[in-house]
Parts: sequence; structure tokens; C-alpha cells
Amino acid sequence: MGDEEKKKGGFFQAIKEFAYGVAAHDSARFAIKSRASMEHLFILITMGDMLGVPILPPYYSLRLLPYVVPQIATWKRRMLREKDLTDALA
Amino acid sequence: MNAVFVLILGFIVAFIGYRFYAKYIDEKIIKSDPKRATPAKMYMDGVEFMPTSKNILFGYQFKSIAGAAPIIGPIIAIQWGWLPALIWILGGALFIGWVQDYSSAVVAMRNDGASFGGLSYKLISPRARVILLSFIYFYLLLIAGAFGNVVVSTAIALKAAPMAWLFLTMAGVLAGQMIYRWKKDIILTTVVTVVISLIGIWVGTIAPSDKILGTDLANSRVVWTIAAFVFCYFAAVLPIWRFALPINYVASYIVFLGLFFGIIGVFIIHPNFTLPAYTGFSIKIGPIWPIMFVTIACGAISGWHSIVSSSGTARQLENEMDARPVGAGVMFLEMMLALFALIIAGTIYASPAEYGAAIVKGPGGIFAGGVAKFLGALGLPANLGRSYGSVMMIVLAVTIMQLVIRFMRVATSELLSDISPIFRNAHVGTFIACILGMVLVLTGWWQYLWILFGGANQLMASLALMLMTAWLMSEGKPAAWTFWPMIFMFLTTIAALLFTSFNLLQKVLSGAVKGQDLIGNTLMGLVGLFLVVAALILGWEGFKAFNRYRAIKNQAAAAKV
Repeated sequence: MGDEEKKKGGFFQAIKEFAYGVAAHDSARFAIKSRASMEHLFILITMGDMLGVPILPPYYSLRLLPYVVPQIATWKRRMLREKDLTDALA
Repeated sequence: MNAVFVLILGFIVAFIGYRFYAKYIDEKIIKSDPKRATPAKMYMDGVEFMPTSKNILFGYQFKSIAGAAPIIGPIIAIQWGWLPALIWILGGALFIGWVQDYSSAVVAMRNDGASFGGLSYKLISPRARVILLSFIYFYLLLIAGAFGNVVVSTAIALKAAPMAWLFLTMAGVLAGQMIYRWKKDIILTTVVTVVISLIGIWVGTIAPSDKILGTDLANSRVVWTIAAFVFCYFAAVLPIWRFALPINYVASYIVFLGLFFGIIGVFIIHPNFTLPAYTGFSIKIGPIWPIMFVTIACGAISGWHSIVSSSGTARQLENEMDARPVGAGVMFLEMMLALFALIIAGTIYASPAEYGAAIVKGPGGIFAGGVAKFLGALGLPANLGRSYGSVMMIVLAVTIMQLVIRFMRVATSELLSDISPIFRNAHVGTFIACILGMVLVLTGWWQYLWILFGGANQLMASLALMLMTAWLMSEGKPAAWTFWPMIFMFLTTIAALLFTSFNLLQKVLSGAVKGQDLIGNTLMGLVGLFLVVAALILGWEGFKAFNRYRAIKNQAAAAKV
């Protein structure tokens, strides 16, 4: 949503976003997190050698590579970023 | 004093704190820059790092931090009188509460969205990370115990509550099915499930638990403890979209409708405080310092907020300027929630004796009574209002509980899976967490359990403030605004935990308690002592880190000369 569009919404837009934040933002985040975890696990299985995991890339990895390319940067960052127990909470 | 005056006082404090103090810190010390890229923008992955509107984050932060604690704390703490509680809520939020929430978000935001483990490793020492994470595990156990007690005491004191809770659970499960499986419209789903929950509140009044289960079962702590932890068990092992999240979704409407209309009711009735302003320095549960300062946790200052601010919110801020409205603004909103709870406790009873008789049964009954009174001003019958208040109380407690048990499952797996692979099993980890929580609920005196939870929670806050102070010193920024709150919270919580643990273990060693009380007192006393030892080690590590930063600063100053 552009800045001008946001301004047009004004007060009611803010209320709507607040209600969404209270009721549904967490659900949306968890849904996205679940999907991302599955996708990243799949990339790890097929392309793990990019992170130094000793996987001999099969033929299918090469076939899949063009579809994975857009996600490689965020996947690497997510896999290698330090995580701790508090990440599970929020 | 009139309740409306208390609310107005709250608005004034929130205005001064947000508009002047927080603004000054944000502009002059942190120097928030709208042009600086936040981690959400730099590392956007569409998952955890995602630029999000400040209005959405405001709602997200409020929903994540506003559980049962800001309501229960003031209801218990009014035993010292409403004036000390009022002063601590206003002063705590103004000088410590928002400071912690805001600075936790800022320090994570300026450190690439790192969470507390990584920050403590980097800013304090490698050992600090291990101790902090062990501390957090036991802190969460105390949350499960303290909130479990609230659920159980509310289910026993208010016989309409269990049926309303059951209907809410069914409505939540249905919501998950409708949204994620049947792909139904979100508005239709919301209307259907919220109406089912409201019907449950009404059914609770005509089918109370003692009529259905009989008096013995309806008054059994064991029955409701098992019910609460079975609920959490499902929340921890089922896919999160199927149980935990949709129930929280439906519950949020019930809670916010109740709070919104309840506050309108306060303005309509505008009652006077009927309980005394001050009762005495020392009461049955302990002296006003340090015990009252940990009894009221959220609402004044809470360590839980720092975890949400750092691991959740900081990774979603799209603009540095949003840290103040989200971090500080939401804390002041929660302060208003605590004031609402204080008004309920202070105004609905005609005498201290009536309040004393009610608090023995737990804070749930008092809260439900208050909600009934203030919703009654809008025409809702008293029995429906009490049923509504009881389900609000249960929902506020159980939503945090289920999250905590789910998290403890993950933590158990990570901590113990090297010992045996069986701990990787989700059911084993959840079972261990539930059993530990149930032992606390069934064997501990709830007011001591609440104090221990509050102590651990506030200690978490002081450790968060220690991290903020270390970061400010490492950046060469003024740190007094986080340092002195940290010192106050550290001393207060260590004193509170030592006082409570000493009392508990003294009873054990002198043979004053037997049977199940012996287990509860011993477990609570030992957990309290563990938290104190962990905090002292962390404090020492923090002290060394401060000296390190001070030495670097002095060297830099000497080099300039």
C-alpha cells in the first residue's frame, strides 16, 4: 500500500489495522513461518551443498535450481542466523 | 477517590511519558532516523523479517503482552491499599516500563534483529547466554504454574466459566477449520464463531458446572488442573493453526469487547474507591517493599515484554520512528488496563472484609464481579456479566499458558535431546512441561506462586535492562535512564525472591508443612533460589561488561587528550 493511500484511510484505516494486529497478525505470521520452514527444509535437502552440508546434488537439484534462485539469499540468512529459545515465543 | 479521576490521572501520565520523556529519549539519545534501514527492510525474508505498519504492530504488541498479569497483579496488590498500588503502576510504567519495552525493541533493531541469546553473548559474555536461557526456562515454568492457578481458581469460583470455556474452545477449533480447511470468508467465520462463544457464555449461566458434574467434581482442583493442562497439551502438540491460534483469534474479540464496554461502564458509574488507601507496610503475603513491586508486574514493568519487543516486534518495524509508538505507546496502554483492574478491585466491595473473603478464592471472582458491575451499567444482566468476566479471565490466562507449554516443549527437546533421543518426541516434551506445571498448581499456595512468577518476571526485566545498558555504553550513549531502573529492579526482585524462597524453605525445614504442601513449597523454594543464583551470576557478568565498556571509554578520552 502506498503512503498516499495510507493517509487517505486515516483514522478508520488505523483502527482496521489495529484490529488486524490484535486478532490475526500472529496467525498470519505463524502460517507463513510454517510454510517457510517446510520450503527451507526442502531447499536444504536438495541444495544443502551451498551451505556446506555434504549432499551430492542429484540431477533433480539442477532442474529445481531456477525455481529456488530467488529464495537462496533469504534461505541462507535464515538457516545461518543465530537463533535461541526466545525465537519460538514471538 | 473517584475512579474516573484515576483514569484521567492515567491518561495524564501516559501523555507526559509518551509525549515528553519517550520523545526526548527517542530524539536526543537514540536519535531515531527515518532514513536508516531497519532489519525488517535490510533482511526482508517475508517471514520473520517483514516491514509492517505501525498500527498493525501496535495491535500485535498489545495482544502479545496483555495477558492476565496486568489484571491479577493490582487485584492482589490492593491488599496493601490502593494508593501504593496506584503510585507503583503509574511510576513504574513512567520510569521503567516503557523504557524497557522501547529499548528492547531499539537494541534488537540496531543489532540486525538479534534475539536475547545473541545479544547477551555479544554485549555481556558467552556464559551470560547460557545462564539467561536456563533462567528463561524456569521463568516460563512459573508462568505456567501461576496462570494455571488462575484458570483453576476461576473455574471453581465461577461455575458458569467451564461451559463458556468449552464453547469458546469449540468455536476456536471451528474457526481454524473454516479458515484453513474450508476456506470460508474471514468475516463470516468471525461472526459465526464469536456468536457461538457468546452463546456459550449464556449457556454457562443456565448449565453451571456443579449442576452437570455435581458439587464435588465442580469444586475439585485436580479436575480443573487436568482440564487446563489437557487444553495446553493439545495446543502444544497439534498444528498451531488447528487449535492454539484460532482459539486465540476468537478469544481476542471476547476480551476486547469486554474491556471496551467495561471502561465505558466505569465512566457511566464513576464509582468511588471503597477500600482503604493504605493498610500497612507488612501484610500476610509480605512487606510492601519488595513484595508489592513484584506482585504488580505487567502494568508497571514486565520482562515478558522485552522478549516480545526483541524477538518479535523489532524484526517487523518498517521505520525507526515506529519504535516509540509501538514500544512505549503500548506499554502505556497496558498501564491503563492495570488501572482498570485496580478500579475493579477497589470499588466493587463495600468493605475490606468483603474483599478479603473474595480474594481467598482467587482473583478471577473479583475480576468477573467487576466486569459484571460495569457491563451492568450498559444493561447486561449480572449473571451474564459474571459469566462473561469469568471467561475473559480464563482466556487471558490460558492463551499465555498454552504458548508457554508449547515453548517449553521445544526447549525440553533442545536441552535434553543429547541425553536421550526420546526427548525429541513432541509428546514427551509436552508431558514433562505439563507435569511440572501441574505439580506447581496443585501443591503451591497461589499467592506465593504469583509472587515468585512476578519476581522472575521482573528479574527478567532487570536483565533486559542490563543488556540495554551494556549496549548504550558500548555505543557511548548516556545510559542512566536504563541503568538506575535496572539497579532498582535487580535489588527489588532479588530481595523478593529471597524473601519468598526463605519463607517457603523455612516451612519445609521446620516441618511446618506436610504432604502435597511439602512438595509445592520445596519446588517453589528451590526454583526461586535457582533464579536468584542465575541472576547474581548474570549481574556479576554484567558488572564486568560495564567496567570493560567504561575502560574503553576512558582510554578513548585519554587518547583524545
